[in-house]
Amino acid sequence: MNETDPDLELLARIGNNDAQAVQEMVTRKLPRLLALASRLLGDADEARDIAQESFLRIWKQAAHWRSEQARFDTWLHRVALNLCYDRLRRRKDHLQADSEEAIEAPDSGPTPEQQLEAQSQQRRMAQALDRLPERQREAIVLQYYQELSNTEAAALMNISVEALESLLSRARRTLRSHLAEAPGTDLSGRRKP
Amino acid sequence: MTPERFAYLADAYGADLQRWPSAERAQAQALLDTGHATARQALQQARWLDTRLDSYRVPEPSPALVRQIIATAALHPPAPTLWQRYAGWLTSLGWIGVGLSGAAAGMLAVTLSLPLPPSAEALPSVLDQSDAEFVLSINAEEAEQ
Repeated sequence: MNETDPDLELLARIGNNDAQAVQEMVTRKLPRLLALASRLLGDADEARDIAQESFLRIWKQAAHWRSEQARFDTWLHRVALNLCYDRLRRRKDHLQADSEEAIEAPDSGPTPEQQLEAQSQQRRMAQALDRLPERQREAIVLQYYQELSNTEAAALMNISVEALESLLSRARRTLRSHLAEAPGTDLSGRRKP
Repeated sequence: MTPERFAYLADAYGADLQRWPSAERAQAQALLDTGHATARQALQQARWLDTRLDSYRVPEPSPALVRQIIATAALHPPAPTLWQRYAGWLTSLGWIGVGLSGAAAGMLAVTLSLPLPPSAEALPSVLDQSDAEFVLSINAEEAEQ
């Protein structure tokens, strides 16, 4: 498993203070870290803090990384997840209020009407995700958005694959139910007259 | 694969079979290929949600954030490993050793280059006068016995 870890060589170079390797690591990992934290926390500012803190851990760890350890990407997800848990514990009461402000419009080229519709759908999706119980949201974010394998996601959550599937299944049912409540949609995706 | 299992997996992993457990993909595809209605319906329902999940995009990292994070690497260089610290210590020790060897070699060179003093006092012999007398007196005592 470790022979195929695609980050090992980069880590070794960072351990030797290679500035180019630092840049490559940021390019490789930052978008995924930011996406993970944004979707779990629903807050862009906090997501940026999590990303920065995670990279500090990378810089400290790079020279000490051993290939016998877990895959680097899995370790990094665990670091970011733990940081997210800390944040969630600290500001649970304010999460709902912050989430709407956190949704920023993605860069896209469609017409203003399409953009408005896309933003509206995105907002609905973010709210639905935000309304999920914490563990269900985590399961969806890790398996669907971060595209981790079921075994990786289950290991990160310290649960069995069966328990993960159960969480995913409940999460998707709840999401369908929340989104179907939105005006103008039915479960097949067709607009209601 | 049973249609119930197919529906359960679609419910958990979504419509893209590539996200399903690898061990079950082939069987799932085989069931789909038969045109099973339950399987197709489960997949359609899953695809509806996938489309909405995909709509939730998050912004790309800003260039400012990228710069900030890169700058932190310079502020927090990786701490040397135990081996690196050990190697550094050995290197220092090596330099000290080289210094000491140099000093010793220098002292030896100076010593060897100095001319020997001509007098016998500078290099006392075991056969100098007092020692010879001592040896002779012992021999005399042994002869008397």
